[in-house]
Amino acid sequence: MSLLELTAQLSEKFPGRDYQIDQLLTMLGEPDEPTPPAIFVYGPSATGKTSVIRTLFENYDPIGTNYAYINSVECFTSRLLFERALNAWTGHIPSVENKFSNYARCDNLVDFVNVIRGVLDGRKETHYLVIDQAERLRDRGSMLLTSLMRMQELTGGCNVTVVLITNVVWDKFRPRHGGAADPQCVFFSFYTKQQMLDILVKDCPVGEPESFFLTFVEAIYEVFHRNCADLNELRHLVAMLYPKFVQPVFENQATRSEFSRLFKLCQPYFAAASERLYLREISTSEWQKYSTVASAKNNPEDVTLKIYQMAENSDGLDLPYYTKFLLIAAYLASYNPSRLDVQYFARGKDPSKSRKKRAVTNSENCLGGRDRQQLLGPKAFAIERMLAIFYSIIAEPVDSSVDVQIQIASLITLRLLTKTSAGDRLDGIKCKCNVSLETIRSISRTVRLEIDRFLYDFA
Amino acid sequence: MPARRKTLSQTHMQMDVDVDNSVDISRAKKAILNRLNGHAPLPALVGLDGPLDSVYSLLNRTVSSAEGNTALLIGPRGSGKSTIVQRSLDMLKQKHDTDTDIDVDSSSVSKYHIVRLSGFVHTNDKIALRDIARQLLIKQDLENILIGSFADAFTYILNLMRSSDDEKSMPPVLFILEEFDLLAQHPKQSLLYTLFDIAQSQQTPIAVLGITARIDVMDLLEKRVKSRFSHRQIHVSNAKALEDFVDIARVALSIDDNEHRVTNAFAESFNRNVSAILTTDFVASFISDIFDFGKDARLLLRTFVYAANKLSNEHPYLQLAHVKTAIARETASAKMQILESISLLEVCLIISMKSLVQSGSSKYNFEMIYNEYKTFMSRHMLATAGGGAMKVYKKPVALKAFETLVELEIVRPALSSALGSDGSAGTSGRNDLLAGSTQGSRAPKEYRMVQMMLEPGQVLDLVAKRFDIPAVIRRWAQQ
Repeated sequence: MSLLELTAQLSEKFPGRDYQIDQLLTMLGEPDEPTPPAIFVYGPSATGKTSVIRTLFENYDPIGTNYAYINSVECFTSRLLFERALNAWTGHIPSVENKFSNYARCDNLVDFVNVIRGVLDGRKETHYLVIDQAERLRDRGSMLLTSLMRMQELTGGCNVTVVLITNVVWDKFRPRHGGAADPQCVFFSFYTKQQMLDILVKDCPVGEPESFFLTFVEAIYEVFHRNCADLNELRHLVAMLYPKFVQPVFENQATRSEFSRLFKLCQPYFAAASERLYLREISTSEWQKYSTVASAKNNPEDVTLKIYQMAENSDGLDLPYYTKFLLIAAYLASYNPSRLDVQYFARGKDPSKSRKKRAVTNSENCLGGRDRQQLLGPKAFAIERMLAIFYSIIAEPVDSSVDVQIQIASLITLRLLTKTSAGDRLDGIKCKCNVSLETIRSISRTVRLEIDRFLYDFA
Repeated sequence: MPARRKTLSQTHMQMDVDVDNSVDISRAKKAILNRLNGHAPLPALVGLDGPLDSVYSLLNRTVSSAEGNTALLIGPRGSGKSTIVQRSLDMLKQKHDTDTDIDVDSSSVSKYHIVRLSGFVHTNDKIALRDIARQLLIKQDLENILIGSFADAFTYILNLMRSSDDEKSMPPVLFILEEFDLLAQHPKQSLLYTLFDIAQSQQTPIAVLGITARIDVMDLLEKRVKSRFSHRQIHVSNAKALEDFVDIARVALSIDDNEHRVTNAFAESFNRNVSAILTTDFVASFISDIFDFGKDARLLLRTFVYAANKLSNEHPYLQLAHVKTAIARETASAKMQILESISLLEVCLIISMKSLVQSGSSKYNFEMIYNEYKTFMSRHMLATAGGGAMKVYKKPVALKAFETLVELEIVRPALSSALGSDGSAGTSGRNDLLAGSTQGSRAPKEYRMVQMMLEPGQVLDLVAKRFDIPAVIRRWAQQ
């Protein structure tokens, strides 16, 4: 296949990537043309970097012995990386016959360089080493990246080109010793709105009119593009929401031309989707299950109610009664300053009265400041302090048989508390509370404790 | 191609329709791409004749009169050190080959050996030693001798060389040590010590040529190593004048009718076209910019790769338009390109961070950023009663946007101390903000301190460049 045909074929398959495809193919040229030592492909996620490059190489080299595609998450040591690359270049496949051995064993760069010399001796075509998620290479010793980028030079003129795919700019890669010359960069930009719509329309379900689908897709884009520029997220949302959107048509509640009415019927789902679905708080299957239940009855109030329930945060934190209080006490100990404990928790005083008196006079000017504890995060506290607060906020006298210490240990195991003091220390244990305010609110609601009464400097 | 005379343009016309022109074009394309991509050295070295002479004569004396020589070749990155060495070796090979033609009876396989080591790959002395043996074509199993000291093993290897020849004297060995400064960081520097020691003792003819970009490389050497070094330093500097710098490009892009087997007329018009492009105002000013900023010859050559790649029957000569495209790409700021299309919520978070920076905090966490965002939005909501089209996103949604920024490394974890451990955290690129905390004592990720990798000025640029930002947010950014 000639380069021109390949360009045309790829451009058709990947809308909006013409420029990048042209740039890449120009750089590769014919198989035996000289290539730059390194090509750096970068751009935000979901812009088609990996899929364009993989499809390009699959078509560019159908036999597949001139390029090696390596994901650096998968190949987490340099040895794995080297051996995979050599396997791909030689067409060696580990199997039962060869006892799943690799083509050659490469423990270090020198071995790799020498084996490459042997393998590529007499081969005229350029060999490519495509490394995806290349930002991870930076953690593998300072020399690996530089050496890979200089592979052409190190192997004494073997025709090797390294293609790095990443979403981080080259500036963050440049080694401090300056050993690697800047590579040829190819930038994969975000899709424009039109390109985005062109791609989303390709997902149109079979049998649906495309213009109708396009209108829907455009509406989705308008709703979500302000907080999400990721094409994959939008595709997911479209796939999840479109059945709901088109449902009234099949249930004879509206026709396809009544777009605004359909949109209005779908509105509650949009609200739910913007949070729960987008954040993956509920899974795809859960969403499908709930949403079918919700719309089986055609009563709009019921739908809204179901959606509300879906959007409701059903917290899985089901702790024993006293443990809930322990956790609340830990939260208070983590976020309240210890100097105010007497006012908040001392018995026999009305907490609201005394708090007002001191807090206003003492720290009026620092309330709501940028460095309040709520923003800084939990601070470590001594277990004794937490226990004191615990006995204070719990209304009735605690049954002595409740083993509070075991509960503390189990909270630490559950990672609701994190221990900050050394593991082997038995006295003076310090902890942090690892729970968010929302969770604490819902827990204190279940035990009927007014948490806001005790919180200092929260907004 | 503005500066072309009439008669010549006619020959152009004729050549464009010429059929076997395509052979010329592909030959020219290959030759130029080989040079631009560093596969082949440039045909002439601009302004490097001095260093070339000294390197060549040094190596030549070792080969021809069996001297032991040591020298360091020092010069900034991209100034042509490796090219000089490659060229001297080529010249040496030429001389040597003609010599063997004269006396065929000296039946030795090769008169001298070349051993190339690089600090990048030869990370310790053992690896280096094994590779030296490999490069000297010693097949013997070395495992048993590698146990001893480096010096013993090395002399053993050299003795193998000696005995492999019938004569008493051994063939000269040229050691080319790239990234010499990294080799000097091996423990005890025994590799360098042994090499220098042998070179100095004059019994074995070896030349040791270290190549490095570090000007303070002598300070890295231990005293005993330094005392065995000849202290011969050859300095290479970048192009001194702009004309020399432009000449580098001219030399790299021009073709020679004899060398590349193209027709004389094609070569002539091709080279004239190159000169025309290099003297265009746009290209000339770009070249002078590179010269003023860093004199980076590699960047200069890289600019022309795209145009050279585009050479084909339709474009038999370099096209100014292609060069311009490449220049536009080189000068674009990669970070800004990415920022130009992030979502509005992410822009808001960046502006929040900017206002945090301006109010004096050097480190901040997600909670603070979100608080800043929320404060602004609620103020805005009050002012416009309803907020117009703007929506306040909930914390988890904002956190997801924040994580996108972390992934793009626009936001990095703040170093624990102001100076950090010699900036090592900065280079290693470890990005553990997203990774699950391994230590139990780490705070939840909303509370981990971060820093934004943008200057307030860059944020303003970003806001100015984007058209989809509401006026309110624009004003907020400019506060």
